[in-house]
Amino acid sequence: MGDILKRLREDIHFMEGFNSCMNCGVCTAICPAAEFYNYDPRVIVETVQRGDEGEIEELLKSDTIWYCGECMSCKTRCPRCNTPGLVIMGLRKVSQELGYFVHSEKGRQQYALKHVIGESVLKRGYCVTPDLVKPEMHPEQGPVWEWIYEHMDDFYDRVHGNLRKPGAGALRAVDAESMDELHRIFDVTGGTEFLNQIESYSREKAEEEGTDLEEGYFLRTYMENSGNHQ
Amino acid sequence: MHTVIIIGGGPAGCEAAYQLASDGIQVHLIEKNNETGGNLNNWYQLFPDRKNAQDLNKRLQEQLNHPGITLHLGMEPSRVEKDGQGRFSVSLSDGSLLEGDALLVATGFKTFDAKRKEEYGYGIYENVVTSVDLENMFRNHAIRTSKGDVPRRIGIIHCVGSRDEKVCNFHCSKLCCITGVKQAIELREMLPESEIFCFYMDMRMFGPGYEEMYREAQEKYNIKFIRGRLSEAAENREHQVQVKVEDTLLGRPLRVTLDLMVLLVGMEASNETQGMARELGVKLAPSGFILPLDPHYGNNLTGEKGVFITGCCSAPMNLTDTLNDARSAAVCITRYLNMK
Ligand code: SF4
Ligand code: SF4
Ligand code: SF4
Repeated sequence: MGDILKRLREDIHFMEGFNSCMNCGVCTAICPAAEFYNYDPRVIVETVQRGDEGEIEELLKSDTIWYCGECMSCKTRCPRCNTPGLVIMGLRKVSQELGYFVHSEKGRQQYALKHVIGESVLKRGYCVTPDLVKPEMHPEQGPVWEWIYEHMDDFYDRVHGNLRKPGAGALRAVDAESMDELHRIFDVTGGTEFLNQIESYSREKAEEEGTDLEEGYFLRTYMENSGNHQ
Repeated sequence: MHTVIIIGGGPAGCEAAYQLASDGIQVHLIEKNNETGGNLNNWYQLFPDRKNAQDLNKRLQEQLNHPGITLHLGMEPSRVEKDGQGRFSVSLSDGSLLEGDALLVATGFKTFDAKRKEEYGYGIYENVVTSVDLENMFRNHAIRTSKGDVPRRIGIIHCVGSRDEKVCNFHCSKLCCITGVKQAIELREMLPESEIFCFYMDMRMFGPGYEEMYREAQEKYNIKFIRGRLSEAAENREHQVQVKVEDTLLGRPLRVTLDLMVLLVGMEASNETQGMARELGVKLAPSGFILPLDPHYGNNLTGEKGVFITGCCSAPMNLTDTLNDARSAAVCITRYLNMK
C-alpha cells in the first residue's frame, strides 16, 4: 500500500466515510457544490476506491477536493452508507500534510485561512474580529460595513460590544490566562504544528515563485481566479 | 398415505400442491385470502412473453381441482406443533386442526412499502405511483396523471427499497429491472407520444429473453435509459415531479421534470414468512428471507426436519423459477416421506 492510502486509512473521517461505492450518483445528485462547480463526489469516491496512488496524488494536487462545502448532505442519502464529505475531509488532511495543496488555486487558499483565521485565533482567541475585515479586502460587505469600520470604536461602544477591552462583552479581549490555555490546547492536539505546516509549505511555494508570503502570495490567494471552476 | 400441509397459496404453494397430489400424497393447502394466486393477482401481464397474468393464475387454480388437495381459503395457521414422531399439527384461525407428515412453507414476499423512502414522495406527491399501482392502471387501460391528463414525460425508478442500506435492504430484488423494461414497453404502446425514461444503476437481465427485451425497449420502443439512481424528488406547483439524479455516464447532475413517476418497488419477505420462521425456529438470512439449508444442495430444506420451503419466502424469484422451485420442493418432500 502506498503512503497516501496508508495515511487515509489512519484518518478517522476517511474510515468513517468510506465503505464501498456502487457508483450510483446519489451523492452527486444531492450535492450543492456539484451544482455550481465542475465537481463530482461520486468520481472522487470512485478514484479512492480504485486505489491508484498516482491518481489520488493528482486529486490531492487539484482544485477538486476544495470545492466541497462539507455540508454532509451526501451522508443522508448514500445507499452504501458512505459519506463522500468525510472522504473529502480525509483527502484534504493528507493534501495539507504532504503539501500538495499549494499546487492548486483553491488549495493555496489554505494559506489565507491560516493567515487570517488561524493566526487570529492564536493571537486573540477569535476566528475573526471586526478590525480584521478590511473593506478593501471585502467589497461584498458593502458601504454600511465601510462606515462601521471607519467608526469602529464609537460604534462598538454604542452597542456595548466592549471591543478588545478587558471585562465582559461579546467582543471583549480574551484574558492572558485563557489565551495561554488555548495555546496549550493547540500544542497538545497538533493544531499548532498543523498551522505551521501550512505556513512552511506556502512559504516554499512563495519563494519558488519569488513572491513575498505575507504580501504578494497572500493577496494572490484572495484575488486569483482562473475562471476554470465550472 | 402421507399428508403434507402447505402454508401459502401463491404460485409456489399451488404448483407444489399439484405436484405432490399427482404423486399420490394428500395435501392441505392453506391460503389467508379468499382466492389463491397471492401477488400474481396484482399483475396484468408477465415478462418475457407478455402473457396475461390471470391466464397463469387460472391454470394454477384449475390444477387444484384434484381429489388429493383440500383447500383452506381465508385461513391462517394460528399455531404449529411438531410431535416426537415428526408429525405436524396446525391449528387454523377457525379453530380446526390439520395434521401432516411434512410442512411446506410457501408464504412468499411482500412489495417494499415505498412510503419508507420518504424523499421519493410516495403518498405525498400526487403523481408518484409504484409498479404495483401501474399494473392496476394497465388493467384499467387508463394511464393518467392526478389531473386526468395524458402524462407527457414518465420516469421509471429502479431499485426502490433494494440495494439500499438506508432502508436496511442490502439485497437486489432481481425482478424489478425486467419489470421496468416490460412496463416501459407497455407504457409506450399505450402512449406513443410520451417520453419514457428508466433511471437505473445496473440492468440485471438474468432470464432468457430479458436482455433481448431490453434491447428492443431501446431500439424499437425508444425508451431512454439513464444510468443514475434517484436521489430525491420534489413536487412543483403543477404537481409535476422534479427528480434529482446524476447522469453517471456523463458525470453531470441532472434535473428532470416528470408528469408521472413510477417506483419499481423491491421485494421483502412477507410478514407471514417472518412469522412462520419465528414459529418454526427456522433461520432467516440477513435479507429477512428464510435461509435455506444449503444454497446448492438444499435450497428447499431448512434446519428443521420435515419443514420445507419454496418460492419467494427464501429469495426473490421470477415465476419460471418459482414454479421450478415448487416442483423441486415436491421432489424433496416425496423423498423425505418415502424414507420415513
Ligand atoms: S459534504 Fe461536500 S460532497 Fe457532500 S454534499 Fe456537501 S458539498 Fe457535496
Ligand atoms: S451515493 Fe454512495 S454509493 Fe452512490 S456514488 Fe455516492 S458514494 Fe458511491
Ligand atoms: S433487479 Fe434491478 S431494479 Fe431491482 S433491485 Fe436489482 S438492480 Fe435494482
